[in-house]
Amino acid sequence: MDVPGSEPSDEALAARAAAGDDPAFETLVIRYQARMFRLAARMVGSEADAPDVVQEGFLQAYRGLASFRGESKFSTWLYRIATNAALMHRRGRARRPTESLEEFLPRFDTDGLHCSTPAELQLATRAEELIDRGRLAQSARAAIERLPDMYREPFVLRDLEDLPTTDVGKVLGLEPAAVRQRVHRARLMLRGYLNHLVTVKT
Amino acid sequence: MSERVVCASGVELLMDFLEGVLPDDLRSDIATHVAGCERCTAFVASYRETPRILREATLATFPPDLEQSLLAFLRERRR
Repeated sequence: MDVPGSEPSDEALAARAAAGDDPAFETLVIRYQARMFRLAARMVGSEADAPDVVQEGFLQAYRGLASFRGESKFSTWLYRIATNAALMHRRGRARRPTESLEEFLPRFDTDGLHCSTPAELQLATRAEELIDRGRLAQSARAAIERLPDMYREPFVLRDLEDLPTTDVGKVLGLEPAAVRQRVHRARLMLRGYLNHLVTVKT
Repeated sequence: MSERVVCASGVELLMDFLEGVLPDDLRSDIATHVAGCERCTAFVASYRETPRILREATLATFPPDLEQSLLAFLRERRR
């Protein structure tokens, strides 16, 4: 019985679900649906497409319950399934040409000093103040879309879903150092992109 | 005295610096450089703000009817 304040753990529910207890699985679905929806929307760059990804992810989780052995946290296992479902969704839809974000990486002179002025370097911090909310949301999704998969996935999990670096590593099968390197690269490009957005606006 | 850290090398290590995984001497060299470099101070501020701005800008609204359709979808597939 699920008494408030002593709710069963994810892992306990997953074990019951694997043994055929469907209400236990539905409890997990309800517990994670909002997080999975948010993750899917960010991974595929569209709130409209996110429900399909969430459905597919939970269906795969249900079918794969027997393979969940409790060696990792249930949440890590589920995030991995949802991340893969998002990747499959992205691959299944028409490819749009995407321009690289490399041009937004910071620039340094031959002595290794920043080429831009302090005021230019700080422009990104004013994005919310200077850019219309709707346009910022649209541009943010478009920019995250433009990241290569190898950067988008760790960036979304670490910085947008706020998972600890070690958990992101477990979801993606990467060492924490590799997660940091990829998230860092994504941040550098996106920071420059936000700077650029503000510059175009002002 | 030649600086061990310049803007470019500091930026390269910025995430490791912020996550606290660098050796103490390197961490301290970067902190010293940033404190004395107006450009790096500005850069670090915008680097730190970038994830927060994008997190808030991409916060999706959970559709109220999704729970029911999701549970119905899964029940259908379980039959």
